[in-house]
Amino acid sequence: MAQPLHDNICDKSRFEAFFKRHAKNLHDFLYYKFGDRLNPEDKAQEAFIKLWENCKKVSPDKAKSYVFTVANNLMLNEAAHQKVVLKHQQLKRTNQTNESPEFLMEEDEYRKKLELAIANLTEAQRVAFLMNRVEGKRFKEIAQLLDISTKAVEKRIYGALKKLREEIEGL
Amino acid sequence: MDKEELILKWLDNNLSPQELEAFKALEDYEALVKLSDYSQGFKAPEYNTDDALQAVLSKIETKKTTKTNWLKPLLKVAAILAICFGAYYYTTTLDTTFATEYAEKTQVELPDNSQVNLNALSKISFNKNDWNTTNRTINLTGEAFFKVTQGSTFKVVTDAGIVTVVGTEFNIKQRPNYFEVTCFEGEVHINYNTGKTNLKTGDSFVIINEQIIETQPSKNTQPDWLNNVSSFISVPLSEVLAEFERQYNVKIEVNTIQTSTLFSGKFTHNDINIALKSITEPLQLQFKKTNNTIILTRE
Repeated sequence: MAQPLHDNICDKSRFEAFFKRHAKNLHDFLYYKFGDRLNPEDKAQEAFIKLWENCKKVSPDKAKSYVFTVANNLMLNEAAHQKVVLKHQQLKRTNQTNESPEFLMEEDEYRKKLELAIANLTEAQRVAFLMNRVEGKRFKEIAQLLDISTKAVEKRIYGALKKLREEIEGL
Repeated sequence: MDKEELILKWLDNNLSPQELEAFKALEDYEALVKLSDYSQGFKAPEYNTDDALQAVLSKIETKKTTKTNWLKPLLKVAAILAICFGAYYYTTTLDTTFATEYAEKTQVELPDNSQVNLNALSKISFNKNDWNTTNRTINLTGEAFFKVTQGSTFKVVTDAGIVTVVGTEFNIKQRPNYFEVTCFEGEVHINYNTGKTNLKTGDSFVIINEQIIETQPSKNTQPDWLNNVSSFISVPLSEVLAEFERQYNVKIEVNTIQTSTLFSGKFTHNDINIALKSITEPLQLQFKKTNNTIILTRE
């Protein structure tokens, strides 16, 4: 990584660039970790505002983990820990013809099982797994985002996968 | 290459073509792909980075200006305090009022245990919170008998004048064009529009139509109206009839009769017919009663 040119991001254009680079990841991270009940969008926004207010005290290389930590704490402050159930949205189907009633029922059942299984993952597993599967992020990117090693990401995702399969297929 | 490694590489999107073939040959291939496909359904809601950035920037802008806006909440607090204080001030300075209607009498006890008897259609008001050992002021319209306990100056304010006492019994009658103060005990000071005077026990002071009327001392210990009798000594008939109207809540029509005629006598508050007779007979008048109207005529 190149040495940061500035020792803070109090400059508006730098702040904007930083926001564009990290806002979506932060939002997704909050969503996968806490669900939508506590409004991840607002928390992400608040965290960035906090960063702006404290921009002199936060060095640019710490800024990313700063907003992640702040947003995470905002979430934790808000409510006692509750089980997070993410809603499964109906996937768009390209092939309409093979939707026999049996198939639909089976699919519905699978979706329910998956929803429950995802809810049963640990936060860390769920975040890593969904970032990887849904957002298509590679291990290395997730590792950077969460400030953990690639190996740890691997472990979390593989662990999540195993656990999901066990629950769904009843192994 | 073992299965876990293959799966991990698949997850990391890092399979070489040969490895992909090997992965596809895995017995769990279908289950894994299905799981992966369905996981897409958990996608986080669309996040529009540009919109969010605009929101953040505008918030940052407003925050800058709100820094000086501590004044706003302060003003809110100040406004509430002002309202509370205003309401408190208003209620504490609000006068206590007692009033009587037609044909009604009542007795009121003042904070210093002084007694006030209110005759019909009369009103007193005073401020409870401003009522203390050095200030006893009361406003009066109508007629009232005061039995004032000893203490500081006791002041009765009427439109016709101010009556000041220390501790005594006296009656004040303040009606349109009529002002009468009678002292039954002790001493009473009167400040009326055009001068001042002092009354001793038994003295009366009467102003009718702005004329001071000479009166004889009486031996009563309290006004007759407390015994439900109105008594008059050389009082114009108009005032007698006005008092009659107040006591019985009726209207009296006099037509051609001269109401400036002086009348001396009494009437009771308990029986309208006897009362009417006691007024009309000495003056040789006739009366006719219809509902609430009484018509007087010459005999």
